Amino acid sequence: MIAALTASGITLVRNEAEHRFPHTEDALALEELREEILDVLTGGLWEENWRVLDPDELSEVELEYMVERGLMTPSFAEKGGGARALAIYGEGQASLEINGEDHFRLVAFRPGAQLESLWQLLSRLDDQLEVHFSYAFDPQFGYLTARPSRSGTGMRAYATLHVPALVLTGRLAQTALELVGNGLGLAPLWSGAGGLVQVSNSGTEGRAEEEAIHLMQELAESIVETERSVRKMLLRENTVQVKDHIGRAIGMAQHARTMCFGEAVNLISAIEVGRELGLAQVPGMESESAFELMTKLQPAHIMVEQLGERAGSLDSPEIDEFRAHLMRDKFAGAFVVD
Amino acid sequence: MFVEESPDWNLDLGGSATCESCNEEPATVHLLRVVNGTVTHTHLCVHCAETVAAQTEGLAVVLAVPSVLWKTPEGKSGDQARAGLLGEQDLRFCSVCGTTLSDVKESGLVGCPHCYKAFSSYLEMVIGQGEQPREHVGKMPRRGSEVDSLKHEIMRLERMLKELVACERFEEAAGVRDRLAELGKRLASDTDL
Repeated sequence: MIAALTASGITLVRNEAEHRFPHTEDALALEELREEILDVLTGGLWEENWRVLDPDELSEVELEYMVERGLMTPSFAEKGGGARALAIYGEGQASLEINGEDHFRLVAFRPGAQLESLWQLLSRLDDQLEVHFSYAFDPQFGYLTARPSRSGTGMRAYATLHVPALVLTGRLAQTALELVGNGLGLAPLWSGAGGLVQVSNSGTEGRAEEEAIHLMQELAESIVETERSVRKMLLRENTVQVKDHIGRAIGMAQHARTMCFGEAVNLISAIEVGRELGLAQVPGMESESAFELMTKLQPAHIMVEQLGERAGSLDSPEIDEFRAHLMRDKFAGAFVVD
Repeated sequence: MFVEESPDWNLDLGGSATCESCNEEPATVHLLRVVNGTVTHTHLCVHCAETVAAQTEGLAVVLAVPSVLWKTPEGKSGDQARAGLLGEQDLRFCSVCGTTLSDVKESGLVGCPHCYKAFSSYLEMVIGQGEQPREHVGKMPRRGSEVDSLKHEIMRLERMLKELVACERFEEAAGVRDRLAELGKRLASDTDL
């Protein structure tokens, strides 16, 4: 059985009513607001502790590591400017971007189908923040944000789907058109490697949060159902080619000496399809999901968790060599079932 | 890891409003194609997008388009609506933060909560609320003002009243109308305070 959602993510944007949005607010007022927020995070009654980081003091690798883990959005990592802060909740269950494009952006990302639980967590954190801050709100436009196209609920949900067969057969475009018709968007994750895509809503589509999440889950399940039938069709009509593709992927994973991230994702994706179709046995994949393995193989993950500073930069060849080493270990006992 | 669109994507008024393939229909989708490692972007109508996507040997992904381009008011083509928006008086500005309508159109950003009042008609169009603005749906601030709650309820009832009248459920509509009158009085007295 394939899980419909490979990974789930939610962001929730709010602004303090008495301040201008960060890009027009005075630096001093913004710094005072940041300190006020940090006082609430460190002094309030929270179920978990908040750990506060200054994004301007993080290295390029550390920033990328936060983005790869889904604790920071790419736009916050890229944006410069003072008076910002990143606060991490507990062990990374959620995080709070302070004074990015908006005063508050709560962020949460997790593998698996977790949209509802992530929403419940962020909504709870939102309620606790609101005890101390008045939010900018309008009866018509909803929660007010610096980017009007993100006003409304301020909530954006992201469903990551693994749909390599739809990509391979060119059916993804039709799927995307249906999503657009429902006010949702589709974008490739990791430049489309491995057939991973992310479906997201806009927040302005006039649906309550739970309704938007429910719709997204329904659509995601229908897309993954189509993916399943296309995989079966491919196997039925092109048995040898499908087995060949999976077998070659295992061979590459077991023997390559250097491997870029995109190639690793493509191979893991093919082997995972083989596993799900019952065509491949992969003892090393029983303890973690394919998505969790892919996540671990991202450049900053390898640098921070495995190599440390000795690798130098994120484009160091040593990272590709270590990734190939991890792949060889992981797929050592894998084989195609005849 | 989150995939966000490019920051200027949602208010890209300089982009193509008509389909780049047939040059007739409004461009309602953005087609991203990856063929042999080369990425191309095109703005197309749904019909052309289906044809082009089917002919693409490689990855073809459709992305959502700026809402201003696809949620155009009824009876207007994308071009006409865009011309209307662009022709709007750009000299308007927000008295709180000084942001001008031109700034908003260029950056896609407003400067402060008051900008939503200063540029309300433009923003209604951009967000796709069209000619019939409706009340916010979803979670609301627990510490919100009484006036905001009243305005929200009035907007909800006004919409309900129109729907009841359209269905010829006049008895229920009369009840809603009375409730609206009562809330209107309360709002007037609250705002006078």
